[in-house]
Amino acid sequence: MTRRPLICVIDDDESVRESLPDLIREFGFDVHVFSSAEEFLASESAGHAECLLLDIAMPGMTGLELQQDLERRQSGIPIIFITALADDKVRSAALRQGVAACLFKPFSDTELRQALNRALKRD
Amino acid sequence: MEREFSRVILDALPGLVWTARPDGHADFFNQRWLDYSGLTEEEAMGLGWQEVVHPEDLPQLLEYWSSRLVSSAAGQAEARVRRFDGVYRWFQFRTNPMTNASGQVIRWCGINTDIEDQKRAEQELLRSEAFLAHGEVVSETGSFLWRPETGEIRWSNQLYRIFEFELGTPVTTERIAGRIHPEDLWVSEDMVNRAQAGRGLRYEYRLLMSDGGIKHLHFVGRATLDQEGSFEYIGTIQNVTERRLAEQALSKVRSELAHVARVTSLNALTASIAHEVNQPLSGIVTNASTCLRMLAARRPNIEGARETARRTIRDGNRASEIISRLRALFANKNAAIEPLDLNDAAREVIALSVHELQISGVVLRQDFADDLPAVPGDRTQLQQVILNLILNAADAMNEVTDRPRSLVVRTQRHKDDQVRLDVQDCGIGIDSKIAGKLFEAFFTTKSKGMGIGLSVSRSIVESHGGRLWAMANDGPGATFSFAIPFGDEARSWPIAPGAPVGETHAGGRSR
Repeated sequence: MTRRPLICVIDDDESVRESLPDLIREFGFDVHVFSSAEEFLASESAGHAECLLLDIAMPGMTGLELQQDLERRQSGIPIIFITALADDKVRSAALRQGVAACLFKPFSDTELRQALNRALKRD
Repeated sequence: MEREFSRVILDALPGLVWTARPDGHADFFNQRWLDYSGLTEEEAMGLGWQEVVHPEDLPQLLEYWSSRLVSSAAGQAEARVRRFDGVYRWFQFRTNPMTNASGQVIRWCGINTDIEDQKRAEQELLRSEAFLAHGEVVSETGSFLWRPETGEIRWSNQLYRIFEFELGTPVTTERIAGRIHPEDLWVSEDMVNRAQAGRGLRYEYRLLMSDGGIKHLHFVGRATLDQEGSFEYIGTIQNVTERRLAEQALSKVRSELAHVARVTSLNALTASIAHEVNQPLSGIVTNASTCLRMLAARRPNIEGARETARRTIRDGNRASEIISRLRALFANKNAAIEPLDLNDAAREVIALSVHELQISGVVLRQDFADDLPAVPGDRTQLQQVILNLILNAADAMNEVTDRPRSLVVRTQRHKDDQVRLDVQDCGIGIDSKIAGKLFEAFFTTKSKGMGIGLSVSRSIVESHGGRLWAMANDGPGATFSFAIPFGDEARSWPIAPGAPVGETHAGGRSR
């Protein structure tokens, strides 16, 4: 059996941190959750995450800042932005920054599945 | 000897004494007269004395003198008389005829009394009365004297003008009551009751004028005991109509501004609400999806499904709680972006909050940079932010008693491309436990607030491409600041209203 890819969820909202991991595990991935970008960067997961589910709006370091930071370090981790703010301008700006997908909360399990597959190039 | 005796007496009199022939020619002056005028007897004799009468007063005096000669009656007149050193002083001339048995004037006797000091006092009094009357007119204040026991009322002219009564007509309590606005009539009754005990009187009441106009009056009266032991009130009544009307207008503008601010911030507000509601909705959808998947598996995960269902319910409640906190719906309106002088915008807000700040005992200092470039912005929305920060700062100093409640509103350039406004208080400061929640919607420690002030403020600032943040001061209190870009970069990153992307510096006080 192959190793299950590690997905990291970074979101300051507790509902999201509690609900997403179960669903992602149902998809067959491993999952770690973090409540802030700083917490993620300080963890060991930063080295082996294969995809990030990253909230845009967070206190402290924002999702955008983390994404730019990782890009500067050429980490190559694919990123899926998740945001509670439904605004197409945000989505297109995010996609221009080179992220794999941008999901508006609330999103369906199918949308998430497709975004993960695209990010991990498994479809 | 007899004559010498008379001269001694006449010289001793405390006045300038002289006599004249029936035709009016002077034939005697006492020593005091000569000493005062510096003239010799020869110089003064006949009509020579006229030289020392002030030229302005001489024609009148001569007219008086000839009328005496015609009527042969005693009389008195006033004129200035020159002293030996050239100084003129006012004198009263009293003249009496000495008549023979048949009633014919055989001689005139005169005595001139120095009334300079009296004259001066009179003029001084006239001046001070004129001064007072002028002051009453300028300040629209009338003064009165009132003896409740006898009903005697004396009014200054200005008071007649304020009440629009004909000058000098008798003033009675009934007449006054006839002018008082029907809704304020209790004042006149209360005044009479209090006056029986000699208590201080202070009222604000209205007059209803005959043309239907309204005047607002401020009445102050204080009692003293007169010699008979009854109360005598002396006081003032000031016409404060303009002040009252200005206050009413100001408070109308304030509530209008508040209303406009509420209405125009809808964009920011709805985005903010959508953001808050979407979080639990996301949890609900994800949990429900997970639940279905767990149940649909070949070996259903009942325990996991139960847990996700439980979380679904919890998130549902959370969403409905957020909705139920919304007490009002606002009409939609787009932001009106135009070039904006942040100093101007702040000045207007300060002008509107001055009254409220004074009531809270807050001393506000402005520290404005004078070279601020204009920023593209919605005036009303940004003014709402400034107002929110100022009122928050005032609230934060509510319990400060050991130092001045000083509030500084500062503007300055920020980095190369932004203008910045700081609101610095010296209040309770920032509690690190709630730092992270400071800008969250519906988070508040105030018993009254909805907890959307700072959240909406941040949404507004971010919709302008700017940032709102808070920092603890080196000393007591905190500083809330926002910065807005003025250049072409202003709106390049499309952060829409409601996206809480700004950074929150250390510390946090709930707003």
